[in-house]
Amino acid sequence: MSLFLLTLGFGVVTASVLALASVGLSLQFGVTNYVNFAYGAYLAFGMFFTYTANTALHLPFWLAAAVGVVATGLVAVLINIAILEPFVRRGTSGFFLLIVTFGLSLVLLNAIQAIWGVGFDQFPIAAGSPIRLGPFSFTAAQLAIVVIAVMTLVAMHLLLTRTALGRAMRAMSDNPSLARASGIDTHRVTLWTWFISGSLAGLGGITLALNTVEFQAFTGNTFLFVIFGAVILGGIGQIYGAMVGALIIGLAVNLSGLVISSAYDLDVAFVFLVLALLLRPQGLIAARGKA
Amino acid sequence: MATETDDFAPATAVTPTDGLLVVAGLARRFGGVQALDGCSFAVEEGTITALIGPNGAGKTTLVNVVAGAIRPDSGRVYFAGQDITARPSHQIALRGLIRTFQLSREYPQLTVLENLMVSPQRQVGERLSVALLRPGRYRAQERAYLERAVQILDDFGLYGQRDEYAKNLSGGQKRLLELARAVMAGPRLLILDEPMAGINPALVDRLSAHMLRLRAEMSITFLMVEHNLDVVERLCDHVVVMAVGRTLATGTMAELRQNASVVTAYLTGGVADVRAES
Repeated sequence: MSLFLLTLGFGVVTASVLALASVGLSLQFGVTNYVNFAYGAYLAFGMFFTYTANTALHLPFWLAAAVGVVATGLVAVLINIAILEPFVRRGTSGFFLLIVTFGLSLVLLNAIQAIWGVGFDQFPIAAGSPIRLGPFSFTAAQLAIVVIAVMTLVAMHLLLTRTALGRAMRAMSDNPSLARASGIDTHRVTLWTWFISGSLAGLGGITLALNTVEFQAFTGNTFLFVIFGAVILGGIGQIYGAMVGALIIGLAVNLSGLVISSAYDLDVAFVFLVLALLLRPQGLIAARGKA
Repeated sequence: MATETDDFAPATAVTPTDGLLVVAGLARRFGGVQALDGCSFAVEEGTITALIGPNGAGKTTLVNVVAGAIRPDSGRVYFAGQDITARPSHQIALRGLIRTFQLSREYPQLTVLENLMVSPQRQVGERLSVALLRPGRYRAQERAYLERAVQILDDFGLYGQRDEYAKNLSGGQKRLLELARAVMAGPRLLILDEPMAGINPALVDRLSAHMLRLRAEMSITFLMVEHNLDVVERLCDHVVVMAVGRTLATGTMAELRQNASVVTAYLTGGVADVRAES
């Protein structure tokens, strides 16, 4: 029982990391209507910007993480302007954009390796001695991950429901041509969406690196498949669905470690992905509005 | 008197200040189809103007060009005396030219109230910086928009459904919501693409009454694409007839019924007759 609760605790941490990353991917898909396969590289940007700010610029870790989050958001905006937007403007279909982002992923991941090297790095703060909380046991960094994820998701909820920008994003996700015709500057909303998606990817990457302790350029990209699992389980483009999907898959991935080797983490996520596609391809929270 | 353009040559007589909306010599080709072929007309401020014509006359293409969704190959569009040709859709909308679509469109996953709340023009709140740095100003504006949205929903009898997701509305309610949403944007000119298509006569009457009310209360000018000539006759002051991408004739419905070429082209015949004549 105590092992179960302990693992459940780790599951919540994984789910928190996963939720941050999944919401960013799902939000961007909802607004722009194509899948960004390079998202794993954005996670890596978050990790390495923070790493550089922390170790080379000697910023305190929390400040370095903030720099990493914002910088990753900006990189996402720049990549959109320089590479993706020209394709979208030309009317490239979603399938070909997927290939474009796949190629982009290879370029970015290799660029990251060229800049930051191929070896494993680690945030000094990640390796702390665990704190016992009843049946649970967390490092300080893991506790911080859960708190930050909850705060970020609440902030996302407020952004989407209480602000005009959030409503404009949901409107674009629902019906882009209508949004344009009602006077929404869809281009500006798209840039904000990339910034928020990139920032969430950065935050997802940083928390992932804290949770796995060691990371390298491809750590985020490997995790991308778990993110896809959560996003598709929740209903692609549905950010609340992504939160639910992240919770289910995050818990399942960790709890499965009680029965089978935790080396099968990725496979467990894939089982959920396949089951979701077979049984409920529209996702738990169906997007009836999306064509 | 109904004016008839000679031999369907593009009318060049329009000037940018002839009306609230002026289209001059618009042309647009899609592959082998000349959807617009020198279409010119003016919509005078304060009128409800109908745009009629057989299927394939280019009405929807015209609406798309005017609203900035499609670029014309040639010709100009003037709104309130200003050249708005090929401006981005959202900029045209911000100037007060709002269009609706042939099939009802709404944001299915937004509530009825939210459907209206996305519409307002020049929202400072959409600038996140304002929301974060000037929360007082932002909240005051949000409150003003909310009051306006509630008032409009009440006018359209949709206040009771304000928290319902738009996808759960009936077809008729969606049509009303679409008009309400367009009004929320504060239009000077509303272009409605077949607003009465496929709805029951009672709702036709309600929509007509709303249009007359909006013209009287908010001085909104209307341009409506419509196939139902009874509605056109009852509601519209002025009618523009299009055929094969050109303006065939303009005038009141009564005048047009006397116009031989209009009767052949549209009221009794189809596109083929117009082509045969020209």
